[in-house]
Amino acid sequence: MAHPAAQSPTMTAAPGAGLPPWARYGIIFGFVSAASIALWAPIGVSGTYPRMIGAILGELTPDYAAANPYLVRMGSVLKPETFLLIGLLIGGFIASRFGRARLVARRLEMVHPGEKTDFARYRDAFLGGFLIIVGARIAGGCTSGHIISGMTQLSVSAFIFAAGVFASGIATAKLLQKGGK
Amino acid sequence: MDRMTALFVGVAMGALIQRVQASNPGMIARNLRLENLSVIKFMATTIAVGAMLVYVMSLVMPMHFDVKPTYVVGVLVGGLVFGVGFALSGYCPGTCVVGAGEGRKDAVFAFVGGVVGALAFTLAFTAVIAPLNALADFGKITLADMLGLPAVAVALALGVVFLAVVKWLPTNPGRPALGEES
Repeated sequence: MAHPAAQSPTMTAAPGAGLPPWARYGIIFGFVSAASIALWAPIGVSGTYPRMIGAILGELTPDYAAANPYLVRMGSVLKPETFLLIGLLIGGFIASRFGRARLVARRLEMVHPGEKTDFARYRDAFLGGFLIIVGARIAGGCTSGHIISGMTQLSVSAFIFAAGVFASGIATAKLLQKGGK
Repeated sequence: MDRMTALFVGVAMGALIQRVQASNPGMIARNLRLENLSVIKFMATTIAVGAMLVYVMSLVMPMHFDVKPTYVVGVLVGGLVFGVGFALSGYCPGTCVVGAGEGRKDAVFAFVGGVVGALAFTLAFTAVIAPLNALADFGKITLADMLGLPAVAVALALGVVFLAVVKWLPTNPGRPALGEES
């Protein structure tokens, strides 16, 4: 006779398996974000981008890099935050290739109705990527640092940033949908 | 040690973002068009659980809090610029890295756009950004400071409100009758 734990499907199901994915993964991410603050620091991503620029300019024009107050303030690209980004790359790779619910992105998917060619999707991704880093660095953080970590810590800035992001984000997404049809 | 912690947090965060499809730019566009709210509900759930945990934990152990300063004009302008880029690309600075790990080519373009954006920002910082961010700077303030209440009480209240709202909000407002999926 088999061990009871081996034959009962309810025993092998993960806790919270009855919840929708957004709730299950949100609860797990809440624990990860809290563990990060307990062990190291709040999660944050966008500051690593100017640190990469600092590393590049430090090689090309060391005098300029040493004199730019922003690059000096942001510090070295060897800070732990850079390793968080490496982790994101690895996590995305692993999750897309293993497990039952794998969702590998095989084809380029268009996002807005106006994107009729691959070039249009790459152009929108590039321009949007430019704007999210400029915006995040003006505000001092992005979705992870300002919204997730900021609201978790009850920071007032997080609520102002989120209000700005969703106001212009919803307006832009709706305009791009109308304009492309 | 901190680098290892950051790496492991990144792997977990990347896997969760991939599974909830936040690294899918089409999913981000659907959330911003308010057709599907799953990523927004995911974020709100994360914040609710995280806020309650960190402030309860802070009663018994030291925590590495790092509250960002509230310079109202810069934070709002930055948020408005960010929102346009978020909708246009369908990515944020972290999800484009996750998307690149998944093999999404447009995610790599978003990442490179971000690197160029960081260069533009760095060059403009002294002349434009530093004066902007000196306006209406209230420093590192929290809701608890503003309300004059204990942080743990505010965190628990915020957590309850966020969880109630995500439970009440439909996941697919565009298609209410077909049952709630993802």
